[in-house]
Amino acid sequence: MMGRLEIRDLHFSYTENEEILKGIDLVLDQQSTAIIGQNGAGKTTFVKLLKGLLQPTSGKIVYNGTDLSSMTVAQIAKHIGMVFQNPNDQIFKNSVIDEVMFGPMQVGMSKEEAKVHAMDALEMVGMEKKCKVNPYDLGLSERKLISIAAILAMDPEVIIFDEPTIAQDYAGKKCIGEIVEHLRNQGKLVLTIIHDMDFVAEHFDRAVVFAKGGVLLDGNPEKVFSRAEILEKAFLEQPNVTRLCHALGYEETFLTTDDFVEYKKGQ
Amino acid sequence: MKSISLYEEKNSTLNHLDSGCKMLYMVAAILVPALIGNKWANVAVIILSVFLLAISKVLRKTVPVLSVSGIVILTIVIIQGMFRAGNTTVVLQLGPAAFYKEGLLYSLGIALNVFNILLAICVLIFTTKPSDMVENFIEKGFSPRLGYVFISIFQIIPQMMETMNTITDAQRSRGMETEGSLLVRIKAFLPLISPVVMSSLVDTKERAIALEVRGFNAKTKKTFLNERKVTTTDKIINLLLIAAVLASVAWRVKLWLG
Ligand SMILES: Nc1ncnc2c1ncn2[C@@H]1O[C@H](COP(=O)(O)OP(=O)(O)O)[C@@H](O)[C@H]1O
Ligand SMILES: [Mg+2]
Repeated sequence: MMGRLEIRDLHFSYTENEEILKGIDLVLDQQSTAIIGQNGAGKTTFVKLLKGLLQPTSGKIVYNGTDLSSMTVAQIAKHIGMVFQNPNDQIFKNSVIDEVMFGPMQVGMSKEEAKVHAMDALEMVGMEKKCKVNPYDLGLSERKLISIAAILAMDPEVIIFDEPTIAQDYAGKKCIGEIVEHLRNQGKLVLTIIHDMDFVAEHFDRAVVFAKGGVLLDGNPEKVFSRAEILEKAFLEQPNVTRLCHALGYEETFLTTDDFVEYKKGQ
Repeated sequence: MKSISLYEEKNSTLNHLDSGCKMLYMVAAILVPALIGNKWANVAVIILSVFLLAISKVLRKTVPVLSVSGIVILTIVIIQGMFRAGNTTVVLQLGPAAFYKEGLLYSLGIALNVFNILLAICVLIFTTKPSDMVENFIEKGFSPRLGYVFISIFQIIPQMMETMNTITDAQRSRGMETEGSLLVRIKAFLPLISPVVMSSLVDTKERAIALEVRGFNAKTKKTFLNERKVTTTDKIINLLLIAAVLASVAWRVKLWLG
């Protein structure tokens, strides 16, 4: 089933005198969506609301027709998965396979089912050979992949990543990019908080810019990244290729090296 | 990051007072009534502490402290009022429960002492930055290592609480129930505690390295980033406090001799 999230006039504050989210209206479905914005813009707060970890001060979030506030965090977990920024906050089992099977079993899968899902997920992140290893013997970038597999194995319809590419080398980034695209092609709704604009340009259908608790820009990456002045005001930069081509005086917005190369070949 | 330090900068008179001064106040406020040994001395110092807390705009912060200890005190009052050996004069009869004057007076004494001590401590810790206090001690020759341990408690505990929250969220996100019956909570505990311990160990190692590269163990004499300013007002207050303590010692001695 497709996941669809409708966010209606969402407000949230941690403390009385400071509103963090100031009325967000968004419909998220199908397209893989990158949430970008300066530190402190409210991105993490937003996705925690989507997970039911926080309750809106006003407004609502509707998941496939059901108001999230009528579901418990554990119920939401079946449908909406989230990979936390730091894999160390998540991992606690002594073997990779146990770790990855924990979530599926929590949401009601049988042991056999969980095992099948876990192995599939490990395969998707390329860690199936490490399934007997203790996660603490792995490096940070591999642990990140384990923590991703642990969520994928739960087979949620919506998958949220909080800054997945931080501390990843090129290979790790490439792997995560492939996972994002693979999930999208499976019909999952992928949401990602991210600072790496090149990564957004390369792998996402839609970019939503958060600034000061509201949505500043929303659209496909081409449209969003063409608005250099607005991005600058939100203290964000364009992808490297976009900036380069802009500086070279091209009128068009190029997002990736491939875009530009193709354009040049076509000339 | 949330702070567990009870101190809050309110730009009040007491905030600007030297930390040594406030420490001396705490000591004097506890010693003087104890030496005089009179309930009214306790009451007077309690009023003074409340006044100081009020002008520092932190009186409201004493509510949780006082209400928790108030419950304990209340049980003492009830038990002593009803069952203290030597209870003879009934002052209050509530159904089958009789309260006696002797026990009530005795527990009133305890209550006044406890509240006095608590309020005196509140005056110090609600208006003084912990690091100021520790720097003051270190200047007087206290070991910087112990000082660091003390200050770091104020940093590490909130950090651990924050990690604990994140980890709880991460596990709830995987469908784990962390709320509900005791059994549910205990079952939830293990997945939560091991990442907390692991990340604390990693943090500790990094903190140690960070300290060492900045010469924490260097043998040379160190200077202080924040110069302490002891003003004339501070000195006068210190003198008055010392005088009060000496006077009550003299009073006590006179009582003994007389
Ligand atoms: N637990 C919390 N309590 C109070 N304020 C918080 C808490 N978490 C985040 N904030 C505040 O909310 C704002 C948004 O934070 P966050 O959602 O983490 O931003 P982002 O993920 O976009 O960097 C920040 O100003 C931050 O200080
Ligand atoms: Mg964040």
